[in-house]
Amino acid sequence: MQSQLSVKHLLGIKELKKEDIQLIFETADQFKQVLNRPIKKVPSLRDITIANVFFENSTRTRLSFELAEKRLSADVVNFSSSSSSVKKGETLLDTVNNILAMKVDMVVLRHSSVGAAHFLARNVDANIINAGDGTHEHPTQALLDTFSIREKLGEVAGKKVCIFGDILHSRVALSNIFALQKLGAEVMVCGPNTLIPKYLGELGVKIEYDLKKALQWCDVANVLRIQLERQTIKYFPSLREYSLYYGINKELLDSLNKEIVIMHPGPINRGVELSSDVADSHHSIILDQVENGVAVRMAVLYLLAGKQGQ
Amino acid sequence: MNNILIKQAEIIHPHSEWNGKRVNLLVHDGIIQKIGDKNFEASQVIEGEDLKVSIGWCDLRSFSGDPGFESKENMSSFAAAAAMGGYTAVACMPNTHPSLDNKESIMYVLGTARNFLTKILPVGSLTAKNKGEELTEILDMHHAGAVAFSDGNMPVWHSDVMLRGLLYLKPINGLLMVHAEDKYLTVQGQMNESKTSTTLGLKGIPKLAEEVMIQRDLSILEYTGGRIHFSHVSSPRSLDMIKEAKKKGLSVSCDIAAYQLILDESYMTTFDTFYKVNPPLRSKKDIDTFWKYLADGTIDAIVSDHQPQDTECKNLEFDLADFGISNIETAFASVHTANQKLSLSELIDKFALQPRRILNLSIPEIKVGALADLTVFDAAETWTPVAKELKSKSKNNPFIGKALKGKVKAVFNASQHQLF
Repeated sequence: MQSQLSVKHLLGIKELKKEDIQLIFETADQFKQVLNRPIKKVPSLRDITIANVFFENSTRTRLSFELAEKRLSADVVNFSSSSSSVKKGETLLDTVNNILAMKVDMVVLRHSSVGAAHFLARNVDANIINAGDGTHEHPTQALLDTFSIREKLGEVAGKKVCIFGDILHSRVALSNIFALQKLGAEVMVCGPNTLIPKYLGELGVKIEYDLKKALQWCDVANVLRIQLERQTIKYFPSLREYSLYYGINKELLDSLNKEIVIMHPGPINRGVELSSDVADSHHSIILDQVENGVAVRMAVLYLLAGKQGQ
Repeated sequence: MNNILIKQAEIIHPHSEWNGKRVNLLVHDGIIQKIGDKNFEASQVIEGEDLKVSIGWCDLRSFSGDPGFESKENMSSFAAAAAMGGYTAVACMPNTHPSLDNKESIMYVLGTARNFLTKILPVGSLTAKNKGEELTEILDMHHAGAVAFSDGNMPVWHSDVMLRGLLYLKPINGLLMVHAEDKYLTVQGQMNESKTSTTLGLKGIPKLAEEVMIQRDLSILEYTGGRIHFSHVSSPRSLDMIKEAKKKGLSVSCDIAAYQLILDESYMTTFDTFYKVNPPLRSKKDIDTFWKYLADGTIDAIVSDHQPQDTECKNLEFDLADFGISNIETAFASVHTANQKLSLSELIDKFALQPRRILNLSIPEIKVGALADLTVFDAAETWTPVAKELKSKSKNNPFIGKALKGKVKAVFNASQHQLF
């Protein structure tokens, strides 16, 4: 078992080895125990300053990171800019350099541009953690998703996981595909054909357009949020039609001859991709995902802090 | 002007009686005065390990930045960079600000560039502001010196504009140069659509976007007659269609960007914006096909597709960065370095002769008494481009720091010459 990550930054799951993911899981196991103690705080990152730099709206990811940082006793500063597209002349690099000039050790970055975290990692000295870059990756989400599958089903290897919804615009989907495959799971995606990238099959992912067949196949259904408001082009005609043909409800789950686990990265559009009676049912591990998110992010921060100065 | 001796150089020019022979060549006052085995007396001598001399190279597609984008390039840096790249004539695209869409702007380019060694040949806009809507005063620009018409890096959106443009150009045997892209299929596109773009989460630019426009334009061309030149073609299927159209006897030609023969989409994996171009870098397999189509003549010419971008437009998040590679100084050397398919003479044909034929320009001669329009290069010399030594104001050149084979040693154009 390795004791250190092979990377200095967490830019994506793509750059991680299977052993890195396992190390993160084992570290997260320990932090999860800490989080369930009366005193939830450890002094591990006492001399570390972390900036959460969010150029896109986020509630739970930012909160989860901030909590993870505070549980580790790091000093935390937050920067949020609601304008997701940074204008030229007020560049990402300038903003972050300003923050770094204030002696920040690590930057958690969310940005609407693909590769924004890579861009930053090339240009600044701090450890960079990608908290979502456009339609590319959202590595900590994939780590907490696979961690939650491992917790629920014992292991990830050999499990069948289907990701439902807008695969084309989803960083969660892409990071999950990479993480699941590295850990030995089988991956399928299911959604309207217009929301599935043409070359996705070449990544070794199964593609299914029929919701019932996909549910029948899988052990775990990871249901993505449909974000009609963020699509510049209409990829499907209406939310009504989407929820009729791709929405998961209790009746559908009961018609399967098996039990499956339901996940969702949040926030849920209740009644669109998931009905409330599914989201709140015993099938769902959605709130476990949220809880595990803090432990997994603590693990990532802790392990990357160990790479400081390297 | 002094006597300049080009010593022991192989002449590469199919129209010259000296073609393929290694000789000494004396240029005096802009005239080729002597060619032969003798050691002519001269005040300056150009020597090299494997020296070659051809007619001056001619670029069919580059961007000057002037007027409007002078922080990226102005006319004099553009001409200096072109000369360093071995070009004695360069067609510049009309996507300036304002666009080259009237007689005055054509005269501005010709006037500003009149004293440079490298001739700048303005391409007039086909439509006002290159918007693809209203035809410009094509005849007026033609008579003022525009060598062809194009909307540069904008497609001709509407079929009827394409149709009327071709009809209007036909009586003057005018050339329409086309950037084929259906913009509805490339919205937010950043790179070639492929497994790689899927893995990187970058919105893909499918080859389809180019192919549907080429298909459309060839159908229109068959209906109207006239001449179309497809610029920087980047899809094997497009080339299949062009080959077929040529067989049918349509007046169609095409070129490929020099970097498209060397760089492939795998360079995108680090999100380096220097490799962000439109049309995008395609696959390694496509590159093999491009070379094949160069060899069989489907691709008529190789262009620099020089698009200077300053650091403010490149050192950015990937989707905010502008498209383009600054390539005019390195176009030939990069292709020559990668070339395993074409003879040097065939390569020079794509860099010097074919572009002139496409533009209906006369082909310079290499014979005693002819006006010197020459590029002298050492085919064996390796060199590494260094940012501060390149003449273009913009340094968005991915070949900086990489060893290239083939170095331009001198260019001559009538009374002017420059040694490197």
